Amino acid sequence: MKDINLAERAVTMNDIKIAAKGVQVYYADTHAIKDVNVEIEDKTVTAFIGPSGCGKSTFLRTLNRMNDTIDICRVEGDIRIDGEDIYDPKVDPVQLRAKVGMVFQKPNPFPKSIYDNVAYGPKIHGLARNKADLDEIVEKALRRGAIWDEVKDRLHAPGTGLSGGQQQRLCIARAVATEPEVLLMDEPCSALDPIATAQVEELIDELRQSYSVVIVTHSMQQAARVSQKTAFFHLGNLVEFGETDKIFTNPEDPRTESYISGRIG
Amino acid sequence: MTDLSSTPSNSLLTEDKRTKKRNAAERRFRAFGLGAILVSCLMLVILLISIVSNGASSFKQTYMAFPVTISQEEFDAAEGSILKTGAYNKMLQSALTEYLTTNDLLGDATEDDVKNMISGEAAADVRRLLLANAAVIGTEIDFNLLANGRIDGYFKGRVTRETAALDTKITGAQLDLADRMTEDGSMVTRFNWSFFTNPDASVQRPEAAGLGVAILGSLYMMAVVLCLALPIGVAASIYLEEFAKKNWLTDVIEVNIANLAAVPSIVYGILGLAIFINFAELHQSSPLVGGLVLTLMTLPTIIISTRAALKSIPPSIRDAALGVGASKMQSVFHHVLPLAAPGILTGTIIGLAQALGETAPLLLIGMVAFVKEYPAAYSPELGLFGEASTALPVQIFNWTTRSDPAFVERASGAIITLLVFLLMMNALAIFLRKKFERRW
Repeated sequence: MKDINLAERAVTMNDIKIAAKGVQVYYADTHAIKDVNVEIEDKTVTAFIGPSGCGKSTFLRTLNRMNDTIDICRVEGDIRIDGEDIYDPKVDPVQLRAKVGMVFQKPNPFPKSIYDNVAYGPKIHGLARNKADLDEIVEKALRRGAIWDEVKDRLHAPGTGLSGGQQQRLCIARAVATEPEVLLMDEPCSALDPIATAQVEELIDELRQSYSVVIVTHSMQQAARVSQKTAFFHLGNLVEFGETDKIFTNPEDPRTESYISGRIG
Repeated sequence: MTDLSSTPSNSLLTEDKRTKKRNAAERRFRAFGLGAILVSCLMLVILLISIVSNGASSFKQTYMAFPVTISQEEFDAAEGSILKTGAYNKMLQSALTEYLTTNDLLGDATEDDVKNMISGEAAADVRRLLLANAAVIGTEIDFNLLANGRIDGYFKGRVTRETAALDTKITGAQLDLADRMTEDGSMVTRFNWSFFTNPDASVQRPEAAGLGVAILGSLYMMAVVLCLALPIGVAASIYLEEFAKKNWLTDVIEVNIANLAAVPSIVYGILGLAIFINFAELHQSSPLVGGLVLTLMTLPTIIISTRAALKSIPPSIRDAALGVGASKMQSVFHHVLPLAAPGILTGTIIGLAQALGETAPLLLIGMVAFVKEYPAAYSPELGLFGEASTALPVQIFNWTTRSDPAFVERASGAIITLLVFLLMMNALAIFLRKKFERRW
């Protein structure tokens, strides 16, 4: 059964969206990411798993250069999105971040209205020509974030007044409103209860139709549920990367096997 | 098996030794805290009572009302004489004597007694009125004239018959006369608006002294401080907090700003004297120089409080803005700054309040001078805020150095005024903080 599945997936192999080669990240003298090579496919959910402090979030943040905001952080190596080196001096990180959206661990809506939260990105990127355009973009984003039905009657209520799960879906809607091509999610469900988690996971599965999604998670069950590809990080090394089914059922590396079975972590 | 019914050695119903000790320590600490609060409240109450009891009477002033007719000839003669106000003084004296005689109020008061009832400032007031309004010359005018400071003090309890006996400037007959005039209704004590509008007066005429020039000067300085310290301070803190790389240079700057906040204010006065007056050759005693010095003094306060306000904004807001592709500047101006605004405003107003009450640096740049003319905000020769002025705290300092007890009352009244201004500014700070406070 499993083997048939794997074979099927191999056939439907997608284009490579992000290609990272020999990535090293240093925080001052600490070598946080050691020579990571990974290829992330388009229209696929890729999960990064691993114990705390293994560098999976750090690596995720190198993909949209959020690490630039940390003075002591230094990135080496080659990361290409659609073949373009994102660390090229000519690349403006602001443009990059419009293309590579991000959802954070803790829901962080702006202390503004729900509408303004979603409209902010399109506004600063000039995606809407007029108010009607903007309304349409906001509605589309909120629908994609699977939260439209809950908030359509109170678009001008503060986004911070929503529940945690709603806030996180609002943040996802905000991230997709700028029409990114890649969506990075840093433990998006760690602050949510199981029901909200289920909603967000369902949403992630839907987002796969349009985006390449990279999700960092502590929960192995979550990785198994939502992802097609899984990367296991340990102590800054990418230990194993492959089909989710294979990682969870038949890992090649003994460290992966230990982590999955709960012996390390 | 243990017997459950017997009381165990470590019963919850009795305090053990350690718990007793800890509870006693906590009770002691609470008592100390309460004592500290009580002591500081007591000090505050003493301060307020002493100031209010001394100063409340300065908001009232004794005036005399009697008709005066000044003919065109008298006016011309007075304007032609050398001591112009002296001539007016004589006219007022004769008018008052006439009024007292016709109403049978004079009693045993001598001519000198009557003469000294009227404030020296009254003649100048009358002259100013006639010069401004020539139509009233020759008609009978009901003047409201300032009574002498001693007479004013009599109605406020500062001067009594015992002190009058020892005082060469007031006689018992004058006090009798004042009593009769009060009964007659020609001498009244009413609210003293001119305390807020009059300029300072000479040592001889405490009854005429007011805070007008000082309030205006303080206002001008606050305008200078607000216009310079707020933008410079906020821009400096935003740069340091959000944009500057953290390295040894920014560390040095940070330490220095913290130290500047603790520099005695008189040092800023010396700095202002050296730079603004001696080097830049701005006019001494001007609100511009005062404002510049107070700006230097207020900047560290504003920078420190603004940085604290910016620091208190959670980084998740910055991440969120950067995550949707906002530039660094957009994330700061669209999201961080509006959230930090209440804190920044509070810091700025506290800084302004501190500057409003500052005296020492102003003494060094010559704002302690006696200023009788209202300073204009702009004059062609002296420029913006260039005319000599004084300030509220300096005026207080000035008055407390004068010997006449009437000035003690004035100084206390000025302190009350200054405290009311500070209270209003702090209330505004609290109001703004509450109004703009947002949750996230």
